Amino acid sequence: MTDAPVVRVRNVTVRRGIRDVVRDVSLDVANGERIALVGPNAAGKSTFLSSIAGLLPIQSGGIDLCGQSLSVLSGRQIARQAALVVALYEGAPRLTVRESTELGRYPHAGPLQGLTDIDHAVVEHVIAETGLTPLADRSLGSLSAGERQRALVARALAQEPRLLLLDEPSAHLDVGHALDLFALLSTIALRGVAIVAVIHDLVAAAHWASRMIVMNDGALADDGPPASVMKGAALGQAFGVNILGAHSAPGQDGAATWRFERRIRD
Amino acid sequence: MTPRRITGLLALGLLLSIVAALCLGTVRYTPIELLTEGLRALGFSAGAPLDEAHTIILNEIRFPRVLLAALIGGALAVTGALLQIVFQNPMADASLLGVGSGAALGAVIAVKLGWSFDIFLALPAAAFAGALGAAFMVYGVAQSTKSSSLTSLILTGLAVSAFLSGLTSIVLIASEEFRVRAVFFWLAGGLEGRGYIHLAIAAALIVPACLVIAILHRPLDLLLLGEMEARALGLNVPRMRLVLLGLAALLSGATTSIAGSVPFIGLMAPHAMRGLVGSRTPRLLPASFFAGAALVVLSDLAARALSDRYDLPLGAITSLCGAPYLIHILRRTDSV
Repeated sequence: MTDAPVVRVRNVTVRRGIRDVVRDVSLDVANGERIALVGPNAAGKSTFLSSIAGLLPIQSGGIDLCGQSLSVLSGRQIARQAALVVALYEGAPRLTVRESTELGRYPHAGPLQGLTDIDHAVVEHVIAETGLTPLADRSLGSLSAGERQRALVARALAQEPRLLLLDEPSAHLDVGHALDLFALLSTIALRGVAIVAVIHDLVAAAHWASRMIVMNDGALADDGPPASVMKGAALGQAFGVNILGAHSAPGQDGAATWRFERRIRD
Repeated sequence: MTPRRITGLLALGLLLSIVAALCLGTVRYTPIELLTEGLRALGFSAGAPLDEAHTIILNEIRFPRVLLAALIGGALAVTGALLQIVFQNPMADASLLGVGSGAALGAVIAVKLGWSFDIFLALPAAAFAGALGAAFMVYGVAQSTKSSSLTSLILTGLAVSAFLSGLTSIVLIASEEFRVRAVFFWLAGGLEGRGYIHLAIAAALIVPACLVIAILHRPLDLLLLGEMEARALGLNVPRMRLVLLGLAALLSGATTSIAGSVPFIGLMAPHAMRGLVGSRTPRLLPASFFAGAALVVLSDLAARALSDRYDLPLGAITSLCGAPYLIHILRRTDSV
């Protein structure tokens, strides 16, 4: 592991239409970090994630990926370093898990080359790592939501990224499948892959993440260990709620002590 | 059954369709006569020769027409499959590019100005120019709009098609009746009177285009995932889309200029094959090509064999098959 950040974001502003959806955001992401990006709807989380993946132009500031500016990297060069799993993806239902995962090798193999033995070995490895070997020849459309989410993570891992970006990976998953997914993500992070995940369930986010970042109205409102972010004022303010039992740190008293109460508006 | 075996069976089916189309019609041949004539053409001395009239009908009229039908059908199916991937819509076809309307306008202008009567191949050349012109107009106008690229392409395609159809109607209404009749036969779709020169032109355009599409199967597979996912995997989606739309315009321009309007093949063949061999392009495109080719070979056989007095329009035959198939798809909405 090196000390250089996987991603360095400096004063980034992203404009969509006439509105600055991300405003003057700066942060560093280190190898192996598990970052939960939280915030209310329309806070700019997904836009921020897409801009880190190089999919949206930034209005000002700069993003460095593994020490190189995104602006000088090609799409395939970015995809070899950063993989994005989009929210609520239900495309290509006829592709099998293996076929879908093989497409994750595109950044390495390119448009005209076939897959090499190394590519096939990586594909089989990530299918096994995500626990999908028995389902490898099943179509994506025939999988449950939890299995499909793991298949999408497998495709992202086939890119062999140093940074894994996930937009609402646990949306529509029941608690059991969500726990399985977060356990898988933790295992991946242990390999040194940095993970930034947009998560709506604050309790799940606090339990899984090593660092929690709060976005509100396009700006960073808080950034730190989950225990301190959960008891900080910024989180409650961002969501317009009071967080009760915020003194409890995850792993001590557990999540059950956190309760959320809607603030009375002025 | 494996996709490879299905594709093999489709190729065999195409071969049988070609043999049937060569044998059947107003003048009939046995498969043995076909084999004998084929061996003779290759320089072998085999069996008793056919009389001169039968030899000319087989070699100069039926053989190029049947091969052209196969080539046109395969190209229509590949074009449909390609556009369905690019537009991420299983019901997309060449009409979204305005190609049919552009080709029609080009053909009508060539007829109206008398070029088609005076200059050899002027009608298909004008139709080809109209088809490509329409496709470039659709793409250019769509790029200049502010809405999302796919939506603006579809809506621009509809608008340009309607505009060009309006112009076609105006030119037609101002044309003499014999000229309108000439263009009607072309618009209705058909291969009557097409020979080796048309086969050579079609092959020169369709074969290279299909080879380039086959080479691009990996980017095409990426587009199956959707625009955002394809971009996240490093594909330059706008550039690839432009290349693929250019190839689709070339293919549909070639087919429309030579055979006129042959609807539904681009929709039926890929849709049916997707259910049999899956959606990955290395399997879907060859299977669609063979299925589309066999469909048009058999439709053209029906077009010339169902009536002793005249050829029925090929486009009418494919419409009569395609429309019920489309209704069948719509009733099973889960398969769309």
